[in-house]
Amino acid sequence: MTAVLEISNIKKNFGGITAVDGVSFDVQEGEILGLIGPNGCGKSTLFNCILGQLQPSGGEVKVDGKVVTGFRPSDLNRLGVSRTFQLLQVFPKLSVRENLILAGQEHQGNMLSRLLGPSDAGLTKAAEQMIDFFKLGHLADEPAGGLSYGQQKLLDAAMAFMGGPRLVLLDEPAGGVNLTMLGDLKARLAEINREKRATFVVIEHNMEFVMSLCSRVVVMAEGKVLAIGTPAEIRANSAVIDAYLGH
Amino acid sequence: MSALKRYWRVALGMVVIAALIIAPMYLNRYGLFILSQWAVMTIAATGLNLTLGYAGQVSLAQGAFVGIGAYAAAIMTANGMPLIAGLGVAIVLCFAIGWILGYPALRVQHHYLAFVTLAFSTLAFLVFRNESWLTNGIYGISNIPRPTILGYPTNRPLPFYYVCLGSLALVSLATWWLIRSPWGRAFVALRENPVRALSLGIDTRRYTLMAFAIGSALGGVAGTLYAPLTQYIDPVPFNLSLSLDLLMMVIVGGSGFFFGPFLGAMIAVLLPEWLRFTQGYYLMIYAVAVILLLIYSPTGILGILDRYLTERRTKAASALRAVAKSGLEPAP
Repeated sequence: MTAVLEISNIKKNFGGITAVDGVSFDVQEGEILGLIGPNGCGKSTLFNCILGQLQPSGGEVKVDGKVVTGFRPSDLNRLGVSRTFQLLQVFPKLSVRENLILAGQEHQGNMLSRLLGPSDAGLTKAAEQMIDFFKLGHLADEPAGGLSYGQQKLLDAAMAFMGGPRLVLLDEPAGGVNLTMLGDLKARLAEINREKRATFVVIEHNMEFVMSLCSRVVVMAEGKVLAIGTPAEIRANSAVIDAYLGH
Repeated sequence: MSALKRYWRVALGMVVIAALIIAPMYLNRYGLFILSQWAVMTIAATGLNLTLGYAGQVSLAQGAFVGIGAYAAAIMTANGMPLIAGLGVAIVLCFAIGWILGYPALRVQHHYLAFVTLAFSTLAFLVFRNESWLTNGIYGISNIPRPTILGYPTNRPLPFYYVCLGSLALVSLATWWLIRSPWGRAFVALRENPVRALSLGIDTRRYTLMAFAIGSALGGVAGTLYAPLTQYIDPVPFNLSLSLDLLMMVIVGGSGFFFGPFLGAMIAVLLPEWLRFTQGYYLMIYAVAVILLLIYSPTGILGILDRYLTERRTKAASALRAVAKSGLEPAP
């Protein structure tokens, strides 16, 4: 197995506050890694440092062995690193289909071909497949802003997969999604992981979701890594139980 | 249903285009001037609509770009060069300056960006007024010739109106192509959520600069037509109030709607004529009307129409859902 993502000693300070304090771990190819921890422990900040939304104060990020620390999010995305956000981030005025085309259009051709080429950048078919895959077929032409919260979450996740990423970082994909849709989402993620060999890092508070989907789990507390292990090991770890899971 | 709606739209478009071609034959000199002015201002406002309406970048400098285009055309044609050369220079110049003006937009947004562009607008006005060696200062440039197109002189008002209308048609087609291309989608993404756009691989920096450059270049195109239309230019028409007027056209018509600038320019150019009988009160009435419009519909006149159509669609959709639920057959 090779590591798709290696982060070593990542630090992030905001003034006097240390949000992420020397975090290191690897993510292996094809793995689904869970990232859990209490609110404010630095999970999302770590994501933002990995993805270039924030500049880390120290440490190094490698994707496929290449140092990408400080790369801009758009460049990282075109290298095959995709993400979803904790809060909904779809484009409300564009239709579901257009949201998906937008999510894939910068992954092919160049500025000129995107100006002079076809309006859909040749992505209508790929978008339709994604729409079917996430069961959004009846909503394809609706403006994304008119969808229910759970449907927008699905669209948000679908957008992250349009560019055919190698690595996807999902920030609370299950937050606010009802049980039926949650089952759907889990099945979709597992399927993409299996068939496309896509690697995931998932931040999530829903323990059942994390424990059943992930092969390994990283637990963070107060900006540091508290434990790394399989779901069973994490469940049995007394430090984790004290800090987070509770008795 | 949507096919029928499409036919209606095409029919309406045909009628408007026919009217724009035929009606002016019966207009007097002044009417033709006003209508030509509408076409020119629509081009400039369409450029601003691209920058502001689609890409979401505030600019108070569009009037300055009209000025740059007008001076480029005036200086070159007054020196015996063809208007098309002036057009080329205006486009390249405005595109380049617009690109540079886009850089502040990478750091500041909204009001702060408005101030930066406002400063540029003032700077351009000072150059028009003070650099007499180039612009002839406050005396302006007179006797700007109108072009000869394919051997056809366009000195008379009607042929020149057709030049303006034809230019508007070309600009509209190009803009339509642009906003339907992946670029247009990226512009909207830039406006609605730049952070998410960046995470989807969209190079927001490049698209922001492009939005400024292309919008400014269209201002330059408008200027190239403005100079031979009035046949005399001085710095005054290109001061800040033109930029504010163009901003009003975009917002009143409907920012981010393709036909918004057409409507906005019509109101801004024609309303003063219609309200002429009120004499000094014209500006007050105009101001009150705009304030009322923006309270009622912050998205402009086309925003009202859009809201109405969305409401009707939602109602129709929920009616269909209700019918589906009740197990009844929908009416044919």
